[in-house]
Amino acid sequence: MINISGLSKRYGRNVVLKDINLSFEQGKVYGIVGENGAGKTTLFRCIADLERYAGIITADRMPLKNHLGLLLTEPFFFSKITGAEYIQLLCNARHKTSVDIAAKNIFDLPLHQYASTYSTGMKKKLAFTAILLQENDYYILDEPFNGVDIQSNIILTEIILKLKALNKIVLISSHIFSTLQETCDEIHLLRKGEPIKSVQQADFEALAAEMRAVTVGNRVEELGLR
Amino acid sequence: MKAYFALQYKMTNRKLRAAGVHPLLAYTLGVLVFVVLALYLFQKTSFAKYLFVLGYLSIVFPLTAKDRSDFLHTVFGDQENRRIRVLENGILSLPFVVVLAIKGAFWELSVLLLLGFVLAIFSFHGSTNLSIPTPFAKQPFEFTVGFRKTFFIFPIAYGLTIIALSVDNLNLGIFSMLLLFLTAMNYYLKPEPQYYVWIHSHTPNAFLFYKIRVATKNMLLLCSPILLGLLAFYPSNYGLLLLFFMAGLLLLCTVIMAKYAAYPRELNLPETILLALSIVLPPFVIFTLPFFYGKALKQLNSILHDKH
Repeated sequence: MINISGLSKRYGRNVVLKDINLSFEQGKVYGIVGENGAGKTTLFRCIADLERYAGIITADRMPLKNHLGLLLTEPFFFSKITGAEYIQLLCNARHKTSVDIAAKNIFDLPLHQYASTYSTGMKKKLAFTAILLQENDYYILDEPFNGVDIQSNIILTEIILKLKALNKIVLISSHIFSTLQETCDEIHLLRKGEPIKSVQQADFEALAAEMRAVTVGNRVEELGLR
Repeated sequence: MKAYFALQYKMTNRKLRAAGVHPLLAYTLGVLVFVVLALYLFQKTSFAKYLFVLGYLSIVFPLTAKDRSDFLHTVFGDQENRRIRVLENGILSLPFVVVLAIKGAFWELSVLLLLGFVLAIFSFHGSTNLSIPTPFAKQPFEFTVGFRKTFFIFPIAYGLTIIALSVDNLNLGIFSMLLLFLTAMNYYLKPEPQYYVWIHSHTPNAFLFYKIRVATKNMLLLCSPILLGLLAFYPSNYGLLLLFFMAGLLLLCTVIMAKYAAYPRELNLPETILLALSIVLPPFVIFTLPFFYGKALKQLNSILHDKH
């Protein structure tokens, strides 16, 4: 279980997260959605303890960060490190030193090439493989489906469902709503740093329709395309 | 081209100001340190001229980075890009050229200029998918990346050891070992993105000792051909050789501590001066190592074991 109570975050005068109270249970997948700048990534960074914040974040296993696999929107890779070495580095950091990396290369990545030469999708798959091999209890996946090919998206979805079956907690942000519909038990909608709505699986369609209506509105017509 | 160099000048000044130093003071200090270092090196060792060529190469080689080359090529086109790169390497060679010319090292000066020109004109970053193998696969990070970026140093260092043994020059042998330590120190000067520290499930203390353990193991591996060679040829000097090896390790540890004492930012001027003092006057490490260690623990605590 992860409990967030009274979480607030500000950068100077700019309030990014306002008094957030959320609970995440074992064996469930949660979607965090919202427009750009709604505070999704900041929320993830606070949970990961990468940001200082006001409020309390607790988990069954503390320190939470030591049991958390964090997939960043744009993972950074050093210019001269291979895919296999990147995975080894992340596994070493969690004291997992005897991982058979080659046998677990399910995305068929060229592990002996420098990771910096990978395409955007390959980089994301590499970073995801690395956090999976760390055998974490909690996962935060910030835009995991971005730039990834359709075949790998299918595998990604299946892995997320497997993590759920293994009683892990998975938090996902995605701008591709259909991917959340397939994987999430609950979706939290953030707007300007506040959770304005929590929606259960049965109401995902209605949420998607509402988001489409609010987001698109009359904007396309205003363009006056001819 | 003028706009490019004006922008470089502006960016350098911004970096200096961000480090808390007025650009004018930094340039004055830079010249002063360079002159003092040149006088010191030429007084202490006959290999100073080679060190100057290596120093110049270590500055201009990173400028050939693929992303940078591609960007310049895209923005300025083929001809203009070449002119910029030649002029850039030429400007950077000036202090080295002046010192080598004053010292009458014209052969080394010609080599330096030729290498500067070659590095400006030709690209050494092909789109090859091959990666340079390293002996650090089990703990890949600083040494893996660093080894690949400075691979040319290793044949030079091992070659110098062979020359040292063949001409019976112990000092040159020791210098080749110290060259490896200086190269390894360079691997720890730039802070990595916070994610690469955050991923560790270590306490700050355990994290620092892990870094030291890996560095020691890797240095032992890199230095062992030199150390064993020198020990075999100069067995009576084993004390001196081990002293230099231990001093090198201690300095490397100090560099690691200094890096994390400043983390996540880069070292500022006072920290750089302290570190430089430790390298030039190794006994100074008695003060700087615990100082940097204490600061590193504090800095890392906010990332590895945050208490709000």
